Amino acid sequence: MQTSASHSPSLPTARQTTSVRMPGPARHYGRYLYLALNAAILIFLLAPIAIVVVFALNPTPFIQFPPVGVSLRWFEKFFASRDFMQALGFSLEVAVLTTLSATVLGASAALALARGNLPGTRLIVATMLSPLMLPAILTGLALFQTYVLLDVGRPTWGLVAGHTLVTLPYVVRTTLAVLHNFDTRLEEAAQNLGASPLRTFFEVTLPLIKPGVMAGAIFAFIVSFDQFPVSLFLVSPGNETLPVTLFNYLKFDLDGTIGAASVVSIVLAFVVVIGLDRTVGLRSYVKL
Amino acid sequence: MMKALGSSRLSRRRFLIASASLGVGTIAAPYVARADDPTLRITGWGGKWGEVMKAEIGPAFESEFKCKLQIDSAFPYLPKLQASSRSAPIYDVLHTNSNEQWAAAEMGLVEPKIDPNLVPNLADVYPYAVSDKIVGVSIFTSAIGLGLRTDKGYGPITSWKELWDAKYNGVRGGYVIPVNSLGQAFLMMCGTLFGKGQTDLDAAYAALEKLKPIKIVDFTGAMEKMLLSGEVSLCVIHDSGIYRYDGQNQPTDFVSPSEGVLSLEQVLTITPGSKMKELANAYVNYMLRPEVQKRLAETVWYSPANKKVKLDAKYDAKLLTTPEKVSKLIQVDWKWYNERKDEIDQRVNRIFRA
Repeated sequence: MQTSASHSPSLPTARQTTSVRMPGPARHYGRYLYLALNAAILIFLLAPIAIVVVFALNPTPFIQFPPVGVSLRWFEKFFASRDFMQALGFSLEVAVLTTLSATVLGASAALALARGNLPGTRLIVATMLSPLMLPAILTGLALFQTYVLLDVGRPTWGLVAGHTLVTLPYVVRTTLAVLHNFDTRLEEAAQNLGASPLRTFFEVTLPLIKPGVMAGAIFAFIVSFDQFPVSLFLVSPGNETLPVTLFNYLKFDLDGTIGAASVVSIVLAFVVVIGLDRTVGLRSYVKL
Repeated sequence: MMKALGSSRLSRRRFLIASASLGVGTIAAPYVARADDPTLRITGWGGKWGEVMKAEIGPAFESEFKCKLQIDSAFPYLPKLQASSRSAPIYDVLHTNSNEQWAAAEMGLVEPKIDPNLVPNLADVYPYAVSDKIVGVSIFTSAIGLGLRTDKGYGPITSWKELWDAKYNGVRGGYVIPVNSLGQAFLMMCGTLFGKGQTDLDAAYAALEKLKPIKIVDFTGAMEKMLLSGEVSLCVIHDSGIYRYDGQNQPTDFVSPSEGVLSLEQVLTITPGSKMKELANAYVNYMLRPEVQKRLAETVWYSPANKKVKLDAKYDAKLLTTPEKVSKLIQVDWKWYNERKDEIDQRVNRIFRA
């Protein structure tokens, strides 16, 4: 064992680390086991998506394995359906509005919590994260009753508010995570150089916390787009989100259209992530 | 870096303006589009029913009665009605199956009966549609019987009791009783088949025990697919769940057992706090019109409640369109059932969990 005298005994060198590795065959078995475990996790995660795709492309009106052929009839039915198209468009609108409101409110709240020296910060954080702990269906029912009491009906802004409530914790949490390691001396330096507080925020603070904000925004979009329990009570006739429309549809017609709609949803989620990657450079946020 | 930040700020501003415009537009649209016509708020099914209601039946009603018909087809209706104010209910007319109507009536959320003076077409309905087993009025019914795969060589089925035959072990289908009306009605039928009547729960529980192994589903639509795919060969199902595939050359058939078929009624009631009572009664009357009944019956294969409806031969041959056929209907005492629902749910959950 060759060690340098300058190294601390508690910090082994690369060579030392190599010397305590398992012998060859055992190391190989360990590696295979590790790969097998990862493969199993991947299969576990991707199998439902694969089943949905098979269901969507299978021409039979029921789930059949192995599939008897490949057909786009369910996609045609999905895109030809006025109800589904309306629901898809409405879901996208609500998801965009929710993402905007949750991102602005969540990031602002996180900044206030991290910087504001507020009394009872822990309690406030716990309160802001509490929608994650409540069953979402109860949140939906409670909001529905509130709107009824206020006699405002079931407006679109009410649905967006409901979605914002359940997506806000994601933005708060991810923004707080980046603010935890934020070096405030950078802001001080900007202000010493004459930048106004507003300019400092937009040109120093925001770019530095953007990884957390963007990660939260992506979560907000996806959670809102797929949101079912809260929407169930808050959608109004003619303004139904895609998950609610799918639920109502499958009570009467459990065919491949459901699979086609799911595939479209998955593709849309990918498009959002890829779009964000191309426009704001998502890859640089992977460190989160 | 500053230049890059500057350009991204510009695009962000544009993006925010566009998003804000979209948001304001989305939020304001319903208010801008709101018409002065009175609005009748009802519930209704999705699927083919919903398509015809939106495309034909609803617009025709709106045009004739100069109103807007707002159809909520997003479940669950009863909790929403329950959560809304009694004096300003979220719905004017509630359309659900009979079991939910009884629950609503017990809570005072719907009026127990429809006034025949305000709904003249009530005079033309079969007795079952306004019997003491019905809250409001049943505008259609389906027959709950047995669904059979005709390509598995099982032979003709004549009785409910054949569902217990050991040869169907592993290929018989039923429902998650706490959440499915067909399952609940079937449980009552078990009491009739093996005990002293619908209310003989002990006999029904014993019969359910003997049904295992059985494949159970929560949605009726899922049972249709299991039968189509051959996953089950004999199951409890409603006639419209089989007949809707008419002409598609599917190896399935509906069996009306000799002991009778259970009725799965489509019921309309009016909420006591409705501010649109006149329009609500007009809607109920409209839904009982022979031409409306015929259109919907031939779309979704429901048996019309109005005796005067003349269906095309294909539908007339299969649906319950004569007093003789209607006499085979067995109505469930949902009031009695709902009073014991919690106890029944616990017991059947234990049976099928085991």
